[in-house]
Amino acid sequence: MAYQKKKCWSILLRLYHWAFALSIVTLVITGFYINDPWFTSLKEGSASFPMAYMRFVHFVAGYVFTAAVLTRIFLYLFGNKQERILEHLPVTPRNVKSFFNTVLRYSYIKDDHDTDRLGHNVAAGLTYVITIVLAVFQLISGFYMLFPELALYNGWLWEGLGVTIFGSQQMARYVHHLVMWWFLYFILVHIYLVIWNDLKHPEGLISSMFTGVKFIKKG
Amino acid sequence: MADTVHKGLDPRLNRRGFLKGCTMAAAALGLSETVIPKMVEAAESAQRPPVIWLHFQECTGCSETLLRGAHPDLANLILDIISLDYHETVMAAAGFQAEQALQDSMEKNAGKYILVVEGGIPTKENGAYCKIGGRTGMELLEEVASKAAAVIAYGTCATFGGVQAAKPNPTGAVGVDKLVLDKPIINISGCPPNPVNFLGTVLHYLTFQRLPAVDSLKRPKFGYGRRIHDQCERRAHFDEGRFVEQFGDQYHKLGYCLYKVGCKGPETFANCPVARFNEQGVWPVAVGHGCIGCTEPNFWDTMTPFYDRIPNVKIPGSGIVEDADNLGIKVLGVTAAAVGIHAVVGIGKRLIKGKSDDEA
Ligand code: HEM
Repeated sequence: MAYQKKKCWSILLRLYHWAFALSIVTLVITGFYINDPWFTSLKEGSASFPMAYMRFVHFVAGYVFTAAVLTRIFLYLFGNKQERILEHLPVTPRNVKSFFNTVLRYSYIKDDHDTDRLGHNVAAGLTYVITIVLAVFQLISGFYMLFPELALYNGWLWEGLGVTIFGSQQMARYVHHLVMWWFLYFILVHIYLVIWNDLKHPEGLISSMFTGVKFIKKG
Repeated sequence: MADTVHKGLDPRLNRRGFLKGCTMAAAALGLSETVIPKMVEAAESAQRPPVIWLHFQECTGCSETLLRGAHPDLANLILDIISLDYHETVMAAAGFQAEQALQDSMEKNAGKYILVVEGGIPTKENGAYCKIGGRTGMELLEEVASKAAAVIAYGTCATFGGVQAAKPNPTGAVGVDKLVLDKPIINISGCPPNPVNFLGTVLHYLTFQRLPAVDSLKRPKFGYGRRIHDQCERRAHFDEGRFVEQFGDQYHKLGYCLYKVGCKGPETFANCPVARFNEQGVWPVAVGHGCIGCTEPNFWDTMTPFYDRIPNVKIPGSGIVEDADNLGIKVLGVTAAAVGIHAVVGIGKRLIKGKSDDEA
């Protein structure tokens, strides 16, 4: 079967993807530790700082995560055709069709793959948009906990924003913790579905996130 | 003891105690010692601001902390620098006489008095759940606040509704700033609050003729500008990973960090570690109990369980209350099972139907 090589993802998008993925893994591991520090210093004066260290790693990863989220938002607006937000939301008849087609495909009712799009199907795209929205809440709650009394821009960053959205540090922490679980579900389903898609329709879906290139059937 | 300060002052308060109180307040405010003479001057001056103190849904614990300091200085000082014209639980007058005193003071000092509110204000059924002298808390607050120069909400009930505003809030209790919208309001939260923060606010007002800077919950920054956790004497144990695992264990006896037994210091703004209580240098964490977050909005709902880090998840309509992580793992299990079934169906279908020519 003849395949055609097509450029799909920009370098910036691929960088964003891996920065996002790796920072999330780091944040989940260190975040769990922050919630319940299960290994501790056994001796006083042993010059070990597990909590301080885990928090430090969490914050560094938090900055990477924030940079990734901002990059994604930039690409939603100014990226190439596949990367823009209009390709991801079920707002045009073509996208609505893709959404339902994907749902039917994933429930093994239909077999044919969307042929009119190079980028994400709309079910996936919509999930990613939801994830980025949650990521924004995650970083606002994170920075509000990190800089609790900072009051830049007339008090808005981060104190005013944090109080307006979450009401208190504790609620920010609670939301921060619950949203973490979304990322865990996302990781599980996301990895499963990209493998599933790669098996069903060999267009190089997984490698496209490294190479930026997809393979589309000719004709 | 002789009154060496001012003829109008209570003879029980000597100059030493007076200066001590002013210094404590200056320290709480974070002011330099050079301001203390100014403060003393302002406190000595004859213009003691008239104060009307209203009680609504409350336990009077806030008044108690203010009046029953281990040392009488603080309480005396407060009563000396303000002119407490109406306070239901400590005034001698009762009944109609008392209500008359309220009306008189309001008329005489219109636009000049400070209104202090203690307790939450119920709003359901037009406020019928709290009546004083036949009038609802809502009516009273509206009337007395309308002629006040400023309002101090004293304690978590008056600031955020407090225990009666905890879910399901049967009486619709709210804090003062939900009802009084057109007056400067200072929230001195806490259950109970530290009287030093009250004194600091009043002295600030007397010295500088304006209310202190506040955070976005209207709490004075000098008292509530920093989290407990960031000024805690046990903080080093936190950073170095030494925790109390259980109350009464060997680590508890060694005075390690109470984070793992649910201390809410990381989520709570207050100066307890610095100002401390009862002039005895104590506060909850110092004596081995975690902070319960009593200066924060809705703390009965959001800081409970007091001995866990974060609240449980309540699933609406189901009555299910579950630890966030137990629930999280269950949902993860269900998701994993769904993924497994999906994969099995796919493989089964392929075994029965064979590969489609699209598949690898
Ligand atoms: C996918 C992204 C993230 C995940 C999964 C995550 C996870 C967590 C978790 C589970 C906690 C512990 C909360 C608890 O006690 O229950 C936590 C705490 C925290 N996170 Fe994140 N986080 C993420 C992103 C961020 C970002 C972007 C920042 C911003 C720099 C941030 C800053 C913080 C801070 C300041 C704390 C509190 C630490 C402390 O006070 O000891 N997080 N995070």
